[in-house]
Amino acid sequence: MVEGRKQHNGLTYVILFFGILLIIFPLYITIVTALKSNVQSSQSFFTLPIPIYLDGFKEVLSNERYWRAFFNTIYITAIVLAGNIIIMPAMSYAVARKIPVSKAYKLVYYFLLLGIFIPFQVKMMPLVKLLSSLNMMNPTGLGILCISSSTCESVFLFVGYMGAIPVDMEEAAWIDGASTMKTYTSVVFPLLKPMLATVLIKQGLWMWNDFMLPLITLNRGWKDWTLTLFQYNFQTEYTINYSLTFSTFVASMLPLLIFYCFMQKAIVGGLTAGAVKS
Amino acid sequence: MEKTKGRNSMSKRQKGRDRTFLLFTAPGFLLYFFFFITPVLMGLYYSITDWDGISRSYNIIGLGNYVKIFQTSQFMKSLLFTVKYTVLLVVFTIVIGIAIAMLLNRKIKGKGFFRAIYFIPAVLSSMTIGLIFNKLCYYIIPVIGKALHIAALSQNPLADKNLAMWTILFVNLWQGLCIPTLLFLAGLQSVPTDLYDGAALDGATSWDIFRYITIPFLLPVVSVVFVLTLKSGLMVFDYIMAMTGGGPGSSTRSVAMLIYKHGFTQNKYAFSIAEAIVMGIIVAIISAVQIYFTDKKKAV
Repeated sequence: MVEGRKQHNGLTYVILFFGILLIIFPLYITIVTALKSNVQSSQSFFTLPIPIYLDGFKEVLSNERYWRAFFNTIYITAIVLAGNIIIMPAMSYAVARKIPVSKAYKLVYYFLLLGIFIPFQVKMMPLVKLLSSLNMMNPTGLGILCISSSTCESVFLFVGYMGAIPVDMEEAAWIDGASTMKTYTSVVFPLLKPMLATVLIKQGLWMWNDFMLPLITLNRGWKDWTLTLFQYNFQTEYTINYSLTFSTFVASMLPLLIFYCFMQKAIVGGLTAGAVKS
Repeated sequence: MEKTKGRNSMSKRQKGRDRTFLLFTAPGFLLYFFFFITPVLMGLYYSITDWDGISRSYNIIGLGNYVKIFQTSQFMKSLLFTVKYTVLLVVFTIVIGIAIAMLLNRKIKGKGFFRAIYFIPAVLSSMTIGLIFNKLCYYIIPVIGKALHIAALSQNPLADKNLAMWTILFVNLWQGLCIPTLLFLAGLQSVPTDLYDGAALDGATSWDIFRYITIPFLLPVVSVVFVLTLKSGLMVFDYIMAMTGGGPGSSTRSVAMLIYKHGFTQNKYAFSIAEAIVMGIIVAIISAVQIYFTDKKKAV
């Protein structure tokens, strides 16, 4: 019996290690190819980068398009996060407290939930017309647009979370004569912080990694590119330069991997939240 | 007197509260209305016109675009590919996801390590992953295929009509399995351990335990994963854009890819919107059916 169990666990490790191999292999190739010269790579893709060749990486890091894309991505993500800090918790607070007594707010909530059912493609083409007529086909415009795209999910998560926090403190503040604004800033908002972290990670990662929205709104000149657009446009230019191609991937993935190393728990929480609820 | 004064200030405060709530709700709602609902309504209108997206004038042609969608083979071919792809994606995601979750749920050493590695793909951009695998298929796979004498893999699998879909599916699973696996793992951990112990004492086989304890506890998670994966499969775009662009030929042209090509590169503006609406209706019906059934389960 004990022996049978041990064998089972042995098999478990074999399968799990095979899975790790499958995950690590593409990343390994990406990193070593970025750190090898084209001659080294054409001899073998699989060997370690000895000696380390940094010219490809240096070339990416000295490319003004990379930095432009990098800062555009940070800029757009920051707008979306700011919107999710300032607008969404307050809106969710109002909606959550008003739903039981007001038909109008109930309607607003259902209206927001409707968005979950509508695939992006349905509004894609008119959205481009709308944005270009407003002169918003730029990173700022995309940031504002993406705040609205995150509304459904964020409000849904906050309203759900609001149901779990007790109203006692809020009522105490109200009886003490605090205004609604004051109650919100000093009582409700601090209580919402755990969910805020989840929402920010979810929306931040989505925005950072999104390809479709930048593709349809920002692909007119390199000054507006995001990192995903930079990679997409870059790889069509340099198909034979292994080192340079893979260096762009590494340079684009690195911020995310570093972020993941430090925030693994929070990220896992953020990415799985909401999915369980629907 | 005192009382009425109190009531007055009370209702005044209530009014102030309502005003603050309105202030809280207005910006988000207006943004949502303007950038979400407006384009959907615009789309519904344009879909009954023959606008190419550029010219100044256009005509209202009623449901002509919708009729044309079902008359031309292009959309149906893309739909067929998308449905086939989605079914495979859903089945593999659920089966492999549960399998990995069960392995990770065993009493093994280094659980945290395995989990940390298994979750890496989830934080990366699907565009980056698609591009990396595109290069791997181009440079690396043929080398491995030749070394192992596997004929099918001795050339770029993305250039092969029959293998391209499977390759995209593999890459999609490589990344797409992460979140479902974690959800399944959370589901497994919600099973009370005394249930397992009791069943073992009663002499239940591992299959019995899986069938009568594990599966019932996992069903709610399965339904969530089912819908999430279904939606991502029906709308698959990034991986295809990064790996094949819809080719070779049009063998991997998903509906989202078709809509994009028609709308942005072929000036079939109104027609592509009609295609998107048809797809949107399909997705909405599936979501509604799922919510209906989960609600029913809760009621029982």
